[in-house]
Amino acid sequence: MTAAASSDADLISAHAAGDPYAFSELVKRHRDRMWAVALRTLRDPEEAADALQEAFISAFRAASSFRAESQVTTWLHRIVVNACLDRVRRRQTRPTVPLPEAGPGEPVAPRDAMSDRETSLMVQQALMELPEEQRAPIVLVDVEGYSVAETAQLLGIAEGTVKSRCARGRAKLAKVLGHLRNRIADANVPADGVNVQEQRQWEGR
Amino acid sequence: MTGMERVPMGPPWSVDLIADLHAGVLPPEVAAQLRPRVEADPEANEILRALDATLEDLQALPPIPMPDHVAARIDAALAAEARPAAPVVSLDEARKRRNRRLGLGGAGVLVAAAAAFGIVLAVSPGGQQAKTPPAAQETPKTSSNTAAPPLALKRDELGSAVGDVLKAQNFGPLETPDRLAGCLKGGGITSSGNPLGISPITLDGKDAVMAILPAGLGQYRLVVLDPKTCGPDKPEGVLADTTIKPR
Repeated sequence: MTAAASSDADLISAHAAGDPYAFSELVKRHRDRMWAVALRTLRDPEEAADALQEAFISAFRAASSFRAESQVTTWLHRIVVNACLDRVRRRQTRPTVPLPEAGPGEPVAPRDAMSDRETSLMVQQALMELPEEQRAPIVLVDVEGYSVAETAQLLGIAEGTVKSRCARGRAKLAKVLGHLRNRIADANVPADGVNVQEQRQWEGR
Repeated sequence: MTGMERVPMGPPWSVDLIADLHAGVLPPEVAAQLRPRVEADPEANEILRALDATLEDLQALPPIPMPDHVAARIDAALAAEARPAAPVVSLDEARKRRNRRLGLGGAGVLVAAAAAFGIVLAVSPGGQQAKTPPAAQETPKTSSNTAAPPLALKRDELGSAVGDVLKAQNFGPLETPDRLAGCLKGGGITSSGNPLGISPITLDGKDAVMAILPAGLGQYRLVVLDPKTCGPDKPEGVLADTTIKPR
């Protein structure tokens, strides 16, 4: 049953039927992407590992009651994202730990040019400076390639809110990464709070 | 309400407004009217290009594979979750076994009381009774004497014991995770954390300990150690080392 050819839904069914290996197989298929989401959301490798373990155990226990109303992956990813966001909320008063320059947070995939690596680190660092509410949708949509609709479902917010938080986050990143000339950025980035009313009218669409 | 009424005046426009346009936040009718005007303005165009460059940077971030030690830890946690709860041992049977082994008459009351409270006794002074079956104990350091003989295996049938050994965390004569790690090191095997399962066995009639380690996608590494000879500098203490893929 745990053959590589089994679909995710087959694996969930096998798990519910008592196959002790099926759930592990499902996790193995998706763990790299979930690890990246957890690490980029939480920033701390230890905490990311804790969140993933908690999420997978929780999913393991709930899997027998899984109903095929949504994709297995969406369901599993949502549990992971929620576990990460719960931790973000719990630690809001605590200082955050930046991703280390080497070690578990560092991409293993070799990159030929040093400049690529430096750019990655710079982008990663800039991402870390975003407020949590903007970083989560940016990580999911722009970095991990989820659709706006999937991200809205994962985060439990409206699609319009996903788009507007991504827009805000990208504007900040454009400035931090030096893509926006300071003159333009300083002249045009309004103080926080400006346009909020207009923004709220457009959110939720 | 017409779209025209809501189209923000400009240039100049704020970076946030242009980011909204870029991200598809604006209502389609507003966006349709605003976009040509924004694209005709050099400064606004520059902001659009900066947002595109930012998106490219984000999309180019490399994947981050889960580190092996995190994967192993999660595999172990899921294996522990998949493990059924320790089976209930018949008190009568446990009592008879203890009494037989200890030759106890009067002391039987004590043993029965201990069994009734679910206490695993380490009553053998020399610690010689470590051949506990996998399911009979949960605490690694306990030298229990409750039980039936360990799993008797032959070298070519190690895979048949996976189900039972996965249910156990019984270090038997190895006693501690540190001792296990030392014995694995002797065989050049590195492993972090507790094994997925571990239990005393006999291999071709010889007392041994079998440990199951994670070995990548859907695979288990079965290592059989001789508790009498294994150690950090003693590769001969590894009696068997094989990787299997269940089913």
